[in-house]
This record gives sequence, C-alpha cells and structure tokens, in this order.
Amino acid sequence: MKSLILFLTLIVLAPLFSAIMLKIKAFFAGKKGIPLLINYYTLIKLIQKTSVYSISTSQIFQVGYLITLATTLTSLLFLPFSGLPPLLSFNGDIIFVLYLMSLGKFFTLISAMDTGSSFEGLGASREAFFSFLAESAFFMVIISFFWFDEKLSIASYFMANNKINVWNNYNFPLPLVGISLFLILLTENSRVPIDDPATHLELTMIHEVMILDHSGPALAFIYINSYLKLLFFSSFLTLLLFPRFGLDNKWNIASFYITLICIYISIGITESIMARFKLNKVPKFLVITFSLATFATIIIMGFAR
Amino acid sequence: MGIFKLTIFIILIGGLIPFATYKNFSLMKILSVLFISLGSLMGVIDSLFKLNNKEIYNVTYKLSDIFIVALSINNLTKFFMIIIYLISFFSVIYSFHYLNDSSKALRTALSYFLYSLLIISMIFVVSANNIITFIFSWEVMSLTSYFLVIYNYEDFETIKSGYIYLIFTHIGAMFIYSAFGIMFAYTNSLNFINLSLIPLNIKTLIFILSFIGFASKAGLFPLHIWLPYAHPAAPSHISAIMSGVMIKMGIYGILKIYTMLEFNSIITGYTVLAFGVISGVLGVVYALGQSDLKKLLAYHSVENIGIIITGIGIGMIGQYEKNFAMALFGFTGAILHTLNHSIFKSLLFFGAGSVIHNTKNRSIEQMGGLLKNMKVSGLTFLVGSLAITGLPMFNGFISELIIYFGSFQGLKQLPLTQFASIIAIISLAVVGGLALACFTKVIGVAFLGEPRNDNTSNAKESGIFMLIPMIGLSLICLTIGVFPKYFIKIALYGTETLFLNSIDFHINDYFNFSTSITNISLLFFLILTILFTLKYFCYKTKKIHNTSTWSCGFSKPTTRMQYTDFSYAFSIIKFYKPFVLFKSDYKKIDKIFPNKIEYHLEYLDIAEKYIIQNIAKFLDLFFEKLRWIQHGNIHIYIGYILIVLIILLLLI
Amino acid sequence: MSNLILTLTVLMVLFCLGSSRLLSIIYLIAFQGFLVSVLPFFINDKITISVILFILVTLLIKSFLIPIFLYFVMKRITIKREIEPIIGYNGSVFLGLIIIIISIFIGNKFNFHINHHNTFLFPAGITTLTSGIFLIIARKKAITQVIGYLMMENGIYLLGLILSNHNLNIIEFGILLDLLVGVMLMGIVLHNINKTFDDIDTTLLKSLRDL
Repeated sequence: MKSLILFLTLIVLAPLFSAIMLKIKAFFAGKKGIPLLINYYTLIKLIQKTSVYSISTSQIFQVGYLITLATTLTSLLFLPFSGLPPLLSFNGDIIFVLYLMSLGKFFTLISAMDTGSSFEGLGASREAFFSFLAESAFFMVIISFFWFDEKLSIASYFMANNKINVWNNYNFPLPLVGISLFLILLTENSRVPIDDPATHLELTMIHEVMILDHSGPALAFIYINSYLKLLFFSSFLTLLLFPRFGLDNKWNIASFYITLICIYISIGITESIMARFKLNKVPKFLVITFSLATFATIIIMGFAR
Repeated sequence: MGIFKLTIFIILIGGLIPFATYKNFSLMKILSVLFISLGSLMGVIDSLFKLNNKEIYNVTYKLSDIFIVALSINNLTKFFMIIIYLISFFSVIYSFHYLNDSSKALRTALSYFLYSLLIISMIFVVSANNIITFIFSWEVMSLTSYFLVIYNYEDFETIKSGYIYLIFTHIGAMFIYSAFGIMFAYTNSLNFINLSLIPLNIKTLIFILSFIGFASKAGLFPLHIWLPYAHPAAPSHISAIMSGVMIKMGIYGILKIYTMLEFNSIITGYTVLAFGVISGVLGVVYALGQSDLKKLLAYHSVENIGIIITGIGIGMIGQYEKNFAMALFGFTGAILHTLNHSIFKSLLFFGAGSVIHNTKNRSIEQMGGLLKNMKVSGLTFLVGSLAITGLPMFNGFISELIIYFGSFQGLKQLPLTQFASIIAIISLAVVGGLALACFTKVIGVAFLGEPRNDNTSNAKESGIFMLIPMIGLSLICLTIGVFPKYFIKIALYGTETLFLNSIDFHINDYFNFSTSITNISLLFFLILTILFTLKYFCYKTKKIHNTSTWSCGFSKPTTRMQYTDFSYAFSIIKFYKPFVLFKSDYKKIDKIFPNKIEYHLEYLDIAEKYIIQNIAKFLDLFFEKLRWIQHGNIHIYIGYILIVLIILLLLI
Repeated sequence: MSNLILTLTVLMVLFCLGSSRLLSIIYLIAFQGFLVSVLPFFINDKITISVILFILVTLLIKSFLIPIFLYFVMKRITIKREIEPIIGYNGSVFLGLIIIIISIFIGNKFNFHINHHNTFLFPAGITTLTSGIFLIIARKKAITQVIGYLMMENGIYLLGLILSNHNLNIIEFGILLDLLVGVMLMGIVLHNINKTFDDIDTTLLKSLRDL
C-alpha cells in the first residue's frame, strides 16, 4: 500500500521535478524563471487542443506514443522507491525493463520515420546509434551489480538488505558506477551535453526532432513519457545514492525525496554549465561512459569479493 | 512410429502428384499444397504429443549390405521435427499464391517435388542414427535446396548465387565427412556407437572438423558468405525454409556431435562462444549496411545463429565447470532460440516476399509507405521485426533472456569464464541495440513515410494464402512471448537429451520468471488499453486536421528528401569501421558546368573480401599450376581413365 | 584510501587514452602524477622525515614542474591543440580496458602483495606502464610521446613501491631526474624543430631513414 502511494505521488510529481531543473537553469542564467507548475499548465493546455496529423503518416504514428508511454509506466512499476517493496518484481526483471524501454524506443523511432520527413529520420538515426551505446553501458552496470547481489532483479538490488548503496560500507567503486549511471541518464533522456531539449535548430537535435509532427494531446502524452522516463532513471540512480536510516524508517522516504531532487538539481547544473557536444564527440562520450562502467566492474570483480 | 511413416508418405505424395496434374496449374497447386500441408500438420501434432514420453524410437531398414537406414528419434530430434514441420506447413501454404506464374507449370511441379524431398531429407537428417543415413540425407538436403534456390535460373545472378551456395555447402560437407571418417577409423562401425571411447585429442579433432562443417551450413561468421547470396536468389518461401529450418540443421549437427562425443573441454567452449559472439555482432552490423531486403534478412540469420551458438557456448562452458544452471540456461536458450528464430525469420521472409512480389524490386531504397496499401503484410512484418529484435511480449525476448541468465551464471565461475560471460552479455546487448536500429530502418524506410516510386505506390496486398501464414506465424510469436512457460517446457524436452548425466529438476526452480512475464505482459496490455481510452476521451469532441509533414518552413518537400536507409545506418556502421570495408566510387566534378555526378558507396564484408583475397587467390594460383592436366586431347583423357582403373584395381 | 587513489590513477589512464586535446591530457597527467606521488603516505607503515621529503620532491616534479614546462612548450610552439591519434580514441579506450583486464590476470599470477595487503598496486602499475607505452606508439605528436613516457614512469614508480622495501627510492629518484632533464631537452629540441620545419609530427621522421 505504501509503495502504491509512493508510486502514484512520484508519477504525479514527475512534471514538478522537471520544472525544478528549469528553475535551476533560469537561476544560472540570472533570470527569475518560470513558475514551478509550468509543466502542468503546458500539459493542460496541450490536452485541450486538437491535433494535426500529417497526410504521410499511418496508424503507427497515432499508436506509437501510447505504446512508449505504456512501456515507461510498466517499467516504473518495478522500482522499489525508497527501498520499499516494488509493485512488480521477478528474477530477471532488470533485463525485462531495459528491453521494455527498447520497445518504447522502437515505437518512437518508427513514429518519427512515419512522417517521411528528412529531419525526423536524422533524429531517429542518431537516437538509434546513441541508445545502443548507452544500453551496453547499462548492461555493464548490471554486471557490476551482480557481484554484490547474485540476482537480476531491481528489487533485490535496492531493497532492505541494503547491499548496493554508496553509503553502505567500503564500496569505493560504486561512485564510479553512479557517475556512469548519471551519464547514461543524460544520454537516455537527451539532456545537455548529448542533446539539447531547448534548442529548435533541427539539425542538432536528437530527441526533440523526432516528435516535431506530434501536436495536441499526443504531444502531452509524449511530454508525460519524457518526465516519467527521467523519473525512472533518476530514481534508479537515487536508489544507489540515497543515505538510509535502517530498515523501515520513515526518514528513508524523506532522504529518498531529497536525493531525488538533488539529482534533478545536478542535471540542471550540468545543463547550465556545459555546452552541447559536437555530434561526432557524442559516441566518444558514450564510449567513455561504457569504459567507466567496465572499469568499475573490473575493480569490483577484483576486490569486492 | 506408424504416424511418422504416414507423415512422410503423405508429404511424398504431395511432392509426386504435381507431375501427374501439372497440365492443370491450379489443381496441381491445390493438391500438392493440400497434401504437403496436411502431412506437415500431422508431423507437428505427432511430434508435440510424442515429446511427453521419453522413450527413444529406433528403426533400422537394411536396404543392402552397406546401405542400412537407421533412424533414432529422441526428444531433441522431435524438437527439431516440430520446427521442420511447422515451417514447412506455413511455407507451403504461402507458396500457393506465391508461385502463380502458370507458364512455368512444369517448373513449379518440379519445385513442389524438390520441396517435399527437402522436408523429408531434413527429417531424416535429424533422425539419422548411422553415418550412411546421415550423409545420404545431408547430401539430398543440400542438392534439393540448391535446385530450389535456382528456381529462376534464367537470371545470371541466380545461377551465380546458387553456385556459391553449392560450393559452400560441399566444403562444409567435406569437413563433416572427414570427421565421420575419423570416427569410423576409431570405432570401426558405421553406427554412432562407442564414440565416447575415442581418445580426447581425436575427439577434439572430430569436434573441430564437424564444427567447421556444420558452421558452414548454419552460416556462422567467416563461413556465412553464401547466405546473403542464396537467400535473395531463392523464391521467398524457399528462403524461409532455408533460413528458418535448413541452417538449423547445422545447429542440430553441432549439438548432436557434442552429445555423442560426450566431450568436455573448456577451450572448445570458449572457442564456440567466441565464434557465436563475433558472428552475432558482425552479422547485425553487416545487416545494417544492406538495402536489399532479403540480403538484410540473410545477414540477420547470421546474427541469430550467432546468438544460438553463444547460447551453446555458454552451455558447454557451464557443463564443463559443473555449473548446472549455466548449462541449463545456455542450452535451453539456444534451443528455444532455434525455434523462435525459425518462426520469426520465416515470417519476415514471407513479408519480404510479399513486398517484393508486389513492388517488383528488392531494394528498400525504392519502397516507402507500404503500410497504407499492404496493411496485413506490414503489420505482420512489424511483429516479426519486434520479435527478431528481441523485444518483450514477443518470442525472441524469451530465448535471449534465458541466454542472458546463463551468461550471468558464468560470472560466478573462474576469472576466464567471468571474462567470457561479460563478453557474451555485452555482445548480446549490443546485438539487441543494433538489431533495433536495423529494423527501425527497415520498417521506417520500407513501410512508413511516402512511396519512393510508382511501383511502390501502386502496390496491392498479396493473395489470402500468402497472408494466412504470416498472420499465423505472428500469432505464434505473440503467444510464445506472452505465455512462454509451455514453450520453455518444450525446449526443455530437447535440452534433456543434451545432458550427459541427466539431473531431475523442476521447471519452477529455474524458470519461475515465465509466469511473471505472462502476468506482466497482460498488465502491460491493460495499461495500454487504459491509455487508449484516455486518448479516445481526449479526442472525442475534436476535429483532427490533416496537412503535409512539417518540414521546418520549407513548403515543397518531395519524397526524395525523405531520410534514406543509407543515411540512417551510416553513422553506426562507421563506428565499426575496422570490421566493415567501405568501397566508394565518386566521380569528381571536373567541368565548369558539371554533368550529373554520382556517388556510390558499398559496404564490404571482411570475411568475403579476405577469403577471396587469401584463400581463393591462393587456390587459384595452385590450380593454375595443374592446368596442364586438362589440355583437350581426348586420347590422353582416355589414358587417364585407364591409369586410374589400373591403380584402383591394384589397390583393391 | 589507497585503493581509491589507485582506482583514480587507472581511471586517469583511461581518460588520457580517450582525451583528444593536448591541454586536457597535460592536466590529466599532472593529476595522475599528484595521485601517484601522494600514494606512499597511505601505504607506508611509518612515515619519516626523509619519506616526506622524498614525496614532496616527487610531487613537485611530477605534478608541477613537468606539466608546467609542457604547458609552456605547448604555448611557445605553434601547434594544433589536438592530439593526432594513429589508433582512434574509441579503440584506444577499449584497448586500455583490455590492458587493465590482462594486468589483473598477471597480477593474480605473480602474487606480489607480500609487503602490502594492497592487491591492486601491481595491476595498476602494469596498466599505467603499458598504457604509457601504448600512448607512445599510438599518438603522432612528440609532446604526447613525452606524456607517454611520463605515464610509463608513473607506472614504474608504482611497481617500485612494491619491490623496494618502502625506503628511500634512490633509483626511482634517478629516473625521475632523468625524465625531468629529458622533458627539458625535448622542449628545446621541439622548439628548434618547430622553428626549422614548422611541424613536429614524429611520423615525418620516417623521411630521415635510409632507403
């Protein structure tokens, strides 16, 4: 019951968290910034509008974003927020979740290709390229987790037994894993330095360009999906990072929330102080991410046992 | 055993009837398809029911003193028989509307005859229990499939492709026969008995030789070159049979040799794994570079064979290291993936055949927007793509997940095995990601967007008998993906045969995730339904506008501005540069008023290039030296015959 | 703590292999020098004045003198600030990972942790040393080759920490001074080459060979 409430609140709050990021960026730019509830206003506005469909598109275009949103929602069900038991869990669910995300990505990509536009194909191609690199890095992270806990389930990683947590004990390679997870987060959610969600110069965009032709409620669904996806990755990272106060402590939830917000703030800071990479630098960045995870795995392999 | 014979008999009748009735084209097709599909369906049902009882059927017929047909049907055999009969069933139905050129009636009749022979020979390959039967049926299988490939023999390209296939299949066969020769030398028996008594180093030799032979049939990395030639040349239902079933005979051979030799060596485990990994990754990278739809699918066969071999490698290592879970997961994953691959790959080839049939070209660069006119083909192809990419809710995911489990088990072992497992896991992830890129490319370029030429925009949906198999196979894909438990059980029957010392275990100890997957998939569909309802309410009262695609202010976009498959894949392929050779052809602008300029870029397969460069050239040089033997003088040719006769007489 | 330092040291190796700018690689090598030279603080059992002195001098040379010198060389001679790799960055990083894995295998074989309970010291040393050599092989510019030597020296230093009985490392110190002189020489020579030929690409040295 507790988990369900936590799950629902987090889902409802996800747009707010994303707005915190915008606020931080505004702060760095010396501006007052938009209201914190901006994302809700946008969603309401979009839902009230109607859509324009391109005549080139087929049904895939009208279905794709729903499937993507469904995959993200389902993946969120597996997360043991703040160490409480998740709503769903089985041995192997981490691989299931990653592949489920790929399923969502598949439909985002083909919806983009469906419009027959030259720009959206560009974005799709880049997304396909970068995400396969990011995915391999994520698998490396899973391999490194395997040394602490010989299961393949998110719940058993992060639940009460407290095995995989940076604050736990002498887990010195885990911060490295955390860093590479953070870089994966930036890639998968198309944040600066990989991709700039704010630009509208299509030649440099990756994710935003793929959704150019969506409008109205469809766009609202896509926005919700992007908030939730960001929530998924930051919660995953938070579970690795947040300090715990024993079993079943109500402070755990507070600490979880604070760490989660800190992660959003640090994404905001990264976005403010860094410029977007030149596109041909991105694969290198991802290779570095992958090697960081591999490196951590090697270190853990040598010493954690 | 009675039903087994009856099945083969019915299929054979289906193959022979066309010769009697080929004057009436439709009647011939109806009868032939009816008999072969009936036989195949019986075969599927029969094998499925027999899987339950563990007894092994042995039959021997003495045709002559040397030629003894010996058959033995164990669970692994039954499993492969399910694959053969299942794909044969769908494929023959598909051929009803696919082979619709009544001017080629006799050729079609012959093709049905060869088809039935191919199916029967494959059944014999998987059930053969002595060397003679195996070799004989293997040879029949190779030859009939060769003749089926060159169905369109007027085309020079087809003949060339068929020739390449013939060379590779026979080089493979040569290795297999030499392995059998060594076996015979040590056991002195044509039956597969007492093989475990052979000394270890000889066992290794036998295993390596037969591995090379079977790998060339299966299309493992350096020996895969015939696949991208043979599949595009063959008619689509034959491509489906070849890619879906025939290359699996290679897998079966590897498994059989492994079981018969009772052979355990860590080095071979690692080698097999390494070949699987290389083949998986490079297969999908080359697939990305193709724009010929069937060639692309052929390279995906290389990739999937790679995944299967990875599973087998994991299983072998697990068996050696006495890690039961690892071995179980590895072998079960590999065997289940064999089934899954045969299902979705035939589905994809059917889809490709349907598309190519209607658009009259094979290059996806000329297609586009096909989903609007060809709804069923498009959607079933989408299902096939999702399955081959290994995405959840579809069958490819289940087997890949099991192989992942096996690989993760390897992390508990010695450092070298840990390293191997890490490589296996990462390469599986990479293969998954690249396959996603590849199939979004195919779907996006061929089926979505705007048509790129008139043939494509006027394409019509194929006949109903081409659609039924596609729908059937996509339903099977979805069923295995959502309800994996029963199918894992079937695969486990096959796996049992592989364990040298069988251990009793309960399916729930290892595969309890299968029920969770069912529940979660259903939950997923529930969430999807809720979202659809939400969407319905969002749009309920609104009018939706239609305009052309927004192209950032540019007002006259044409179809030529669409993103092409080539640009889509380029950056990913460039990442793998040392393994993919680029051959570009660019005529530079040299006049003040330039003419039309051309730029041509092709990706070359390193295996093909280096094999041609090193082995073929070397052989060429060598045989050049022997040219003098063939000089055209008929008298001396007869002299050769005499000399050979005398030598043979002396020897015998 | 010593494990953390060693981890960071090896991480610097990876970053060096992956970085494409001269300036950043100089910073990285300076930081690596810093890490390597403070390491004795954490693994020596007793710290005497001489040890502290030794550490301070190494620290000064490794992470300040040489990098600053390299920095000035880079400023003085007008070269492109980009490292020109012979083997690409991605390939280099992957090779670096493979080097680490192999070093751990070697480390498991040798079992050098008699003096220290730190098992990672030996693999880290081997990795740093090998990657240094790899940098020398795989990069074109003379200045990156010097950085390769520096990295190699860091590796030797790490190995020296295992082998010598944590006393004053005279030999080590000698090598360090040699290197300092070498770097200075390199600077002067580079400066002159640059003045004469307008280029410091070492692959062009090929044209000097006999035919």
